[in-house]
Amino acid sequence: MAFISSGYNPDKPMENRITDIGPRKYDEFYPEVIKKNKGKWSHHEILEPGVLVHVAESGDEIYTVRVGGARLMSTTHINEICEIADKHCDGHLRFTTRNNIEFMVDSKDKVEPLKNDLKSRKFAGGSFKFPIGGTGAGVTNIVHTQGWIHCHTPATDASGTVKATMDELFADFQDQRLPAQLRVSMACCLNMCGAVHCSDIAILGYHRKPPMIDHEYLDKLCEIPLAVSACPTAAIKPAKVTLEDGTEVKSVDVKNERCMFCGNCYTMCPSLPLADTEGDGIVLMAGGKVSNRISDPKFSKVVVAFLPNEMPRWPSMTDAIHKMVNAYSNGANKYERLGDWADRIGWEKFFEVCELDFTHHLIDDFRQQAYMSWRQSTQFKF
Amino acid sequence: MATVEMNGTSFEVDEDGFLLDYKSFTNDWVEYVRQQEGIDELNDEHWKVVNVLQDYYEKNGIAPMVRVLSKLTKYKLKHIYELFPSGPGKGACKMAGLPKPTGCV
Repeated sequence: MAFISSGYNPDKPMENRITDIGPRKYDEFYPEVIKKNKGKWSHHEILEPGVLVHVAESGDEIYTVRVGGARLMSTTHINEICEIADKHCDGHLRFTTRNNIEFMVDSKDKVEPLKNDLKSRKFAGGSFKFPIGGTGAGVTNIVHTQGWIHCHTPATDASGTVKATMDELFADFQDQRLPAQLRVSMACCLNMCGAVHCSDIAILGYHRKPPMIDHEYLDKLCEIPLAVSACPTAAIKPAKVTLEDGTEVKSVDVKNERCMFCGNCYTMCPSLPLADTEGDGIVLMAGGKVSNRISDPKFSKVVVAFLPNEMPRWPSMTDAIHKMVNAYSNGANKYERLGDWADRIGWEKFFEVCELDFTHHLIDDFRQQAYMSWRQSTQFKF
Repeated sequence: MATVEMNGTSFEVDEDGFLLDYKSFTNDWVEYVRQQEGIDELNDEHWKVVNVLQDYYEKNGIAPMVRVLSKLTKYKLKHIYELFPSGPGKGACKMAGLPKPTGCV
């Protein structure tokens, strides 16, 4: 395509350069009712899954319809979201911290037409464009990462696993039958971008093979001390290597029995790639939360050590998640998050009711604090 | 990998325009990066940053942290940005022939 200039002059890059202006201020985009009643809300109610009403001290009401979003979306899709907002909400809308979309209207009689419009929209393949839900004690959107769409360190895909999981849990997105809200998150490597370390159920990409070392290019492309210090288990040490043509180059040596395949060294050094078709897969974690409602925030714990990448629908992953959600909804008391429930019944019972295998991989062996995760008590159930 | 040419010398570079091999650095490379980065004229201050980066890299095998670079050159970060509009990583390290910065950048 022919080049079309925006007015930027590459010969004088610093001329007319605007910088440090920050984001637009949020209140420029407030709907009228929000602007008028900011800081003066009296109470709110969930009318049905996906529909909320907030009542202000003045008596003003705002109805919010929350719909799921795929997070990764085209401008065509965003234009359609804008078209809906123009039609029903005076051009206003917002995105939530879990990447759902919220349309807000100021009176009750505007809710039904908006809902009917949203429900009527589907992609050619049949998926709902704007499924209503994600409120209360259900499953809302999955916080996820880039995967094979864009990142260079993933061990699994993000959008694919998330679509497969959300299809499995779709009934719970549109319902509020669970004991408490269930947050599912996904990260495609253990950098854990997002919320996997603090979610009720977490999907995590995982490698099982040590990095390959490209001796020829390593010293040219990498700052060797950074690769050495990137390793949490000190499996990497600097080394001199003789190449096939006889030249001696600086490189690194990886002690494979100390390597736990975190991939940090690849992040720092492009000559240490470790992605592998059969080796890579998924770890499931469970029991984390961020709120301090009743119990303190918790980290999620590893409950399934490895599941293979099964593109494009990841059946064994969705099956394990399904088993956990089922056991949780049957077993937990009202208001109990998944982690609270597992702590109450004991993790040995958690594995029993979820029908998950307990393997030696789940026993913490990382440094001193691993000791604290072992059972120093005679309190256990057979 | 792409090859670029400056004053008759050719350099192997990656897709971001970083030199593939530190050892192939010459003054022609500095001239090439100067044009790429939109720097009008190289002065002593540019050269001081480049020299400090190269000395540090040869001695330690890594690029210095920004605070270390500031301390060694006595230039505040703001001034480094005035010298190299793309910043110490994409601008100065590229000009000095150092490897491309890695990590979550």
